[in-house]
Amino acid sequence: MKMQIAINKRLHIGLLPLILLVLMGIAFVIAMVRYIYGIGAISNLSNSYPWAFWISFDLFTGVAISSGGFLMAATVYIFELKQFKPLLRPSILTAFLGYIMVVIALLVDLGHPERIWYMLIHMNGTSVLLEIGLCVMTYLTVLAIEFAPVLFEGLKWQKFANLIHRFIMPFVILGVVLSTLHQSSLGSLLIIQPAKLFPLWWTPILPVLFFVSAISIGLSMIIFESTLSARYFKLGLETHLLEKLARAYPFVLGLYLVIKFTQLTLAHSLGLLFTSGLMSVLFWTEILVGALIPLVLFSIRKFRQSARGQFYGAIMVLLGMILNRFDVSWFGVKHPDPLTYIPTFMANNVHYFPSLPEVLVSVGIFSGGILAFGLAVKYLPVFETEQHHDRAS
Amino acid sequence: MADIQHKAFIFDATRCIDCRACMVACSVENKIDMDKTRIWVSGIGMKGQFPNLTRASMVYHCMHCNEPDCLSACPVGAYSKRIDGPVLYNPTKCIGCRYCMNACPFGVPHFDFDKGLLQGAFIDKCTMCPQRIDIGLQPACVATCPTNALVFGERADLVAEAHARIQAHPDRYVNHVYGEFENGGTSYLILSHVPFTELGLPPLTERPVKEVSEEVMGFTIPFALSWAAVLSGTAMAVHWFNKRKEAIAAEKEAKAKQLEEADK
Repeated sequence: MKMQIAINKRLHIGLLPLILLVLMGIAFVIAMVRYIYGIGAISNLSNSYPWAFWISFDLFTGVAISSGGFLMAATVYIFELKQFKPLLRPSILTAFLGYIMVVIALLVDLGHPERIWYMLIHMNGTSVLLEIGLCVMTYLTVLAIEFAPVLFEGLKWQKFANLIHRFIMPFVILGVVLSTLHQSSLGSLLIIQPAKLFPLWWTPILPVLFFVSAISIGLSMIIFESTLSARYFKLGLETHLLEKLARAYPFVLGLYLVIKFTQLTLAHSLGLLFTSGLMSVLFWTEILVGALIPLVLFSIRKFRQSARGQFYGAIMVLLGMILNRFDVSWFGVKHPDPLTYIPTFMANNVHYFPSLPEVLVSVGIFSGGILAFGLAVKYLPVFETEQHHDRAS
Repeated sequence: MADIQHKAFIFDATRCIDCRACMVACSVENKIDMDKTRIWVSGIGMKGQFPNLTRASMVYHCMHCNEPDCLSACPVGAYSKRIDGPVLYNPTKCIGCRYCMNACPFGVPHFDFDKGLLQGAFIDKCTMCPQRIDIGLQPACVATCPTNALVFGERADLVAEAHARIQAHPDRYVNHVYGEFENGGTSYLILSHVPFTELGLPPLTERPVKEVSEEVMGFTIPFALSWAAVLSGTAMAVHWFNKRKEAIAAEKEAKAKQLEEADK
């Protein structure tokens, strides 16, 4: 963090970076309090709600919004659709930073962050969480390798960049496999809660639904961040390219809806769609905002072609699908009924709502990610191909 | 059920007088702070219309499942199931992820939310007092229970005993032994005169909750390998196809040039 401050001082720190730095500082202080006095001192987590906001936002949302990295790597390297190359580096960067944010957040959330590496020496093969842990660790390494050429080019170490480039294929394939595994396994994580997760969401095919929706989230993040970066860094926006990307939406979202409603029909849960009060409202909000309405909108060519349409459509998908992650990992989960006589250790916060410091930790970590993205774009050739393209045209 | 030396409890809600001596005995035996007890007694209060009133309380601690879900969920294998029944937790391996708390359908494991890094925040739960049962004693809660609401012994014997009690007084009990088959069978068998949900016990099937999860996990490695093969194959096919397309284009160009030259 110190280094970033130094860099910024020389360059007249802007208002946005300053706010981000302050938010990071607040999160850092809260994290220190948590390490000294315990998780309960800063959060409303309790034995009734062992997982809630942090897991839903930092882990579930954090991993999901990083899925653009493997999507673009697959598109450019495996399917050799070279025209999408300008989107590759920003997506890899987002994924890389996204996963670093996930790991930092877990270091706050875990009871024993200093033992996170125990996953490498004490493996329990039946644990979904172990699989996710190992995949995230390995994929973070793969992302570092995939991003390294950008760093080396920035440092003018062209030889190293070329070297990595020559051997990139195995890493790309490994990255796609690892991503597929843990994007879907985040869904598998909840399969162990058939008695706790509301039946509108609990299904053995949660991993399939998670993978398909992760693709839609990845597409949306690419559009979202390309649009914002173009605005903030005054780069040319590749509306034409994003339109080609947006053509995938109707297929991905359509597939998602078909799987989801087929599953509900087969599980005889269709009756719950309108009869479960808040759960029905949450379900329809995520389906309408995250899938059904964007599916219709992105099927209209005029909508797809306009920069605004792409941007707001992508935001809709993001909001709806992130609500889905929250529903599955928090809103839809009901732990055993609060008992009439509850000892003090059970009594704190039977009804959970995240505390302010809890939210601020996540906000601070997220701010760090945005700041790092900005610095990387400023000093490294992340959007370089795009700029060349602009100059040429 | 093949039970070889498999220890278990019976809890009979009709005998429990809500004295909470078990909580005290447990905390003393295991040196647990009273506000962090491993046992908690839940009372449902007075129910019904005078003069037909019912009241019940439930002694709640680890069910010591035959197929423990916490054990399946723990990424670092901090849980173990002893052959004679107890489900044990090993704090030296625990990373504090709290997935076991999510996995346990009974909400048994609880966590030190009030402890920082230096004090060490761990999971805690009932151990079935292995230090006592190994020398032939009963767990502390059972030994202290003044009304024999808690009984300890061989699981097979206790299952028979539970059914015998129901048969002897069918008017007094709900005709079901909770824990005989629930979640794959537990070592805590519960008899009650009120519906089990009123005691705070979740309705569960005979399939342990971890079963589907483990089945899905079983697909991981075969899926990863075949997915890697499919992706590599696709990458090679696409590459070959593109190369071929380029080659054909180049050939055509060359031919066109030749023709042009020949025309000249």
